Amino acid sequence: MDDFFFSLLLAGISVGAVYALIALGLNLTFWTTKTLNFGQGSLMMLCAMLTVIIFSQGLAITLAVVGSLVVVAALGMFIERWTVRPALKSSGGSMGWVVSTLGFGIFLQGMAAKYFGSQAVAFPDVVFTAQDFVTVFGQYISLQYLVVLAVAVALILAFELFIRRTVWGQAVHAVSLDPELALVQGIPVRRLILGSFMLSSVLAGVAGVLIAQIGGTVDPAFGFDLVLLGFVAAVLGGMGSSLGALAGGLLVGVISKLVGGYVSTAAEHGIAFALLMLALAVRPQGLFGRPEVSKA
Amino acid sequence: MNALRSRLSAVVADWRVQMALVLALLLAAPLLSPGTLQIASFVLVAAIFAQSINLLTGLAGQISLGHAGFFGIGAYCTGILVKTYGLDVTLGVPAAVLLAGLTGWLLSFPANRVRDVYLAMMTLGFGMVFFEVVREWNELTGGTMGLPGVPSAALRTLTILGVKVDGLRYFQLVLLVTVGVILLVRNLTQSRIGRAFYAIQVSEVAAGSIGIPAGRTKQLAYALSGALAGLAGALYAHLVGYLGPESFALPRSIEVLVIAIVGGLGSIAGQVLSAVLFTFLPERLQVFAEWQFIAYGLILTFSLLVLPRGIGGLLFEPPRFIKPRALTRAARLRADATALRPDGGGTALEAKGITMRFGGLVAVDDVSLRLEPGRITALIGPNGSGKSTFVNVVTGIYRPAAGQVRFGGRDITGLPDHQMATAGVVRTFQDPRLVLHFTVRENLLLGAHRQLRHSGLAATLALPGAIAKEAAQLALVEAVLALSDLTEVADRPIDTLPYGTRRMAEVGRALLARPRVILLDEPAAGLSETEMDRLAQLIRDMRAMGIAILLIDHHMDFLAGLVDEVVVLDSGRMIYHGDIAGMRGDAQVIAAYLGDEATHA
Repeated sequence: MDDFFFSLLLAGISVGAVYALIALGLNLTFWTTKTLNFGQGSLMMLCAMLTVIIFSQGLAITLAVVGSLVVVAALGMFIERWTVRPALKSSGGSMGWVVSTLGFGIFLQGMAAKYFGSQAVAFPDVVFTAQDFVTVFGQYISLQYLVVLAVAVALILAFELFIRRTVWGQAVHAVSLDPELALVQGIPVRRLILGSFMLSSVLAGVAGVLIAQIGGTVDPAFGFDLVLLGFVAAVLGGMGSSLGALAGGLLVGVISKLVGGYVSTAAEHGIAFALLMLALAVRPQGLFGRPEVSKA
Repeated sequence: MNALRSRLSAVVADWRVQMALVLALLLAAPLLSPGTLQIASFVLVAAIFAQSINLLTGLAGQISLGHAGFFGIGAYCTGILVKTYGLDVTLGVPAAVLLAGLTGWLLSFPANRVRDVYLAMMTLGFGMVFFEVVREWNELTGGTMGLPGVPSAALRTLTILGVKVDGLRYFQLVLLVTVGVILLVRNLTQSRIGRAFYAIQVSEVAAGSIGIPAGRTKQLAYALSGALAGLAGALYAHLVGYLGPESFALPRSIEVLVIAIVGGLGSIAGQVLSAVLFTFLPERLQVFAEWQFIAYGLILTFSLLVLPRGIGGLLFEPPRFIKPRALTRAARLRADATALRPDGGGTALEAKGITMRFGGLVAVDDVSLRLEPGRITALIGPNGSGKSTFVNVVTGIYRPAAGQVRFGGRDITGLPDHQMATAGVVRTFQDPRLVLHFTVRENLLLGAHRQLRHSGLAATLALPGAIAKEAAQLALVEAVLALSDLTEVADRPIDTLPYGTRRMAEVGRALLARPRVILLDEPAAGLSETEMDRLAQLIRDMRAMGIAILLIDHHMDFLAGLVDEVVVLDSGRMIYHGDIAGMRGDAQVIAAYLGDEATHA
């Protein structure tokens, strides 16, 4: 096999797994509230940025990552309480939350630019450097890509287990099917929704750190395009389906890296967007999704 | 506060005030410095741009997060056509408007298949991809270096039809264009298109039930909004003379959202005030420029909490959706509600073997019935017996698992709801689905949407023909208002009125949709005795017009004097079909309502 092709493929699978992680985060809030955080990208940026800053103060990298994730989780709760909930409550316009969540993302991005500067900062090497590789059957395989892939896949599996096997996961399902019924059944819907935004933000934060590790740098504008890629992954796989998120993420990752490698890196977003258009034209419910039943 | 608001609204709506303001601006312009003139021109561009969001979000309830893309398409299209290909501005700008409008139309193609949030995400992606395309397509757009030297007022290189145009003339020209745009948007709001936009924002199901197709209406909103944004972009191009990709990136999409939301969605005047505010503020206030992005973020996050209706909502009354000119004209007309009689007599609707399943649950099981013109059929049964589901199948909200709906010799099974309504099958809902901010009159006129067949262009230009058609329908609305005893509250917004009144308004709206078959889902629920009598009379009037009527209700006294036949459902199955006297003695019906013990007693 062609070396170049193989390295693109691996890169695609690796970032694709991260897109799947983002898609899972979007799915989670979509389940509980039928909303998405349009400012999710800023959370990815902030998590990676904070990791760099805490690390530069001399703390261990694990502590830096965990600390940043805690901050991002708290922000996720704030977003639910102060941007999504009021918008869902107000009667005017059905999509106020799109504006308010995007607004909060813009705010975070603005603050990051103001206080951390708008220049890109180098992201520390967590386990391996970009130069570390192993050789398998004569192919160079970047260890960083492998680690990112492993972490992303492990998280996706853990998430799936959590949703399928735990009471909380079942409750999430119940709420996604019928929030009112779930409430009458005694499920603490409020807390569950809050939790879904927290977990969704943590997933975004991890995704941000992983992408930053691959890319090597972070800047305030980082992450905004990643939400779109995550969304395309979610739609391709079928909004709300975890397996679909993984499949969609890998598909978007591989195709965009291949196009990026053989045509132009500038075409990566364009191709993802084209995939989105195609999916909506041909199969709006996605690969693994079911068509929504409208209820009058 | 309310008095002040209505006074201000009256002043702003007065054409003499409008004329005076425009004249004053035109005449005062030569006194201004070139710098101020340029900023003033920016204000106008921003005002047009904000109107495009107002149209899309304020009226149709759709959101665009990539509007800079449409703005940019307009700017680059005319920029390239005029600079590179030497076309005249009078061709370049319209081409830009068309291209941007077409893009909006194409981008929103999945509108009737997916949730609105998908479209919002697509616009975000569109804005991003547009920016990247512009940055990379060196030959056409100049890439990151941008496109300098577009004939413009700032560079003193602009000629329109051979006449040199400087900053002053350009300002005056753009002012006139802005006035034109504002008038057109106002006309559009007060036409069938504006009402349809607003109706799909409030309830797609309700809109569909009177024949408004949600998907196509949304697509039209995106196309028109894209075209307006393209116009703003084109005017911008000939104002500044240099186009670089950075001018069309996310911050501009955010900025126009902020302007539109702070201005107050739905308020045309509010948009203009907000455009003034947000164009001058960064110019005059250094501190604001520095914190701009953060401020925009905060505004978007909290504006809906703090000031949901924006400046416009604070200062002015909410917009109305009927042109005053049409109202005056309608006042001189007389119409009789019998004109609502279906053309060419009634048509029977036949449902054969309708079965509807939800997963394992059989909600409607092999139900057949026939609705004859000029007959009232009652559909009764305990809660959960499948009555509403049956209505939902017949009116195209659900597609049945088995069975057929035939109407006038045509198989209409599974047609989308708006096509059912167009065919003449109209329904009301168990919980009234009205446009709460509309007045009673506006709600009823919305019902006549399908009868208003004049072109969108005629509606937007408020041509005499369009006004005449609106007036004719308004006269009919007046007749139905009288029939349903709503004349007194005709100009009150629905959300200020009690439940019973809303129900009557919904039945009136359905009648104005010119039904051949009308399906009324518990119209008498929550009505007072007097209201019930009025409703019964209205239903009798409809029968006399030759409309086939299906009436769901639980109130036996109400039904007894009214209906011609009765169909009883229990657990989805039809257990009785006949007259109401026979039903009272039917063992199965009694068992269904009172439980099995009653029959054994």
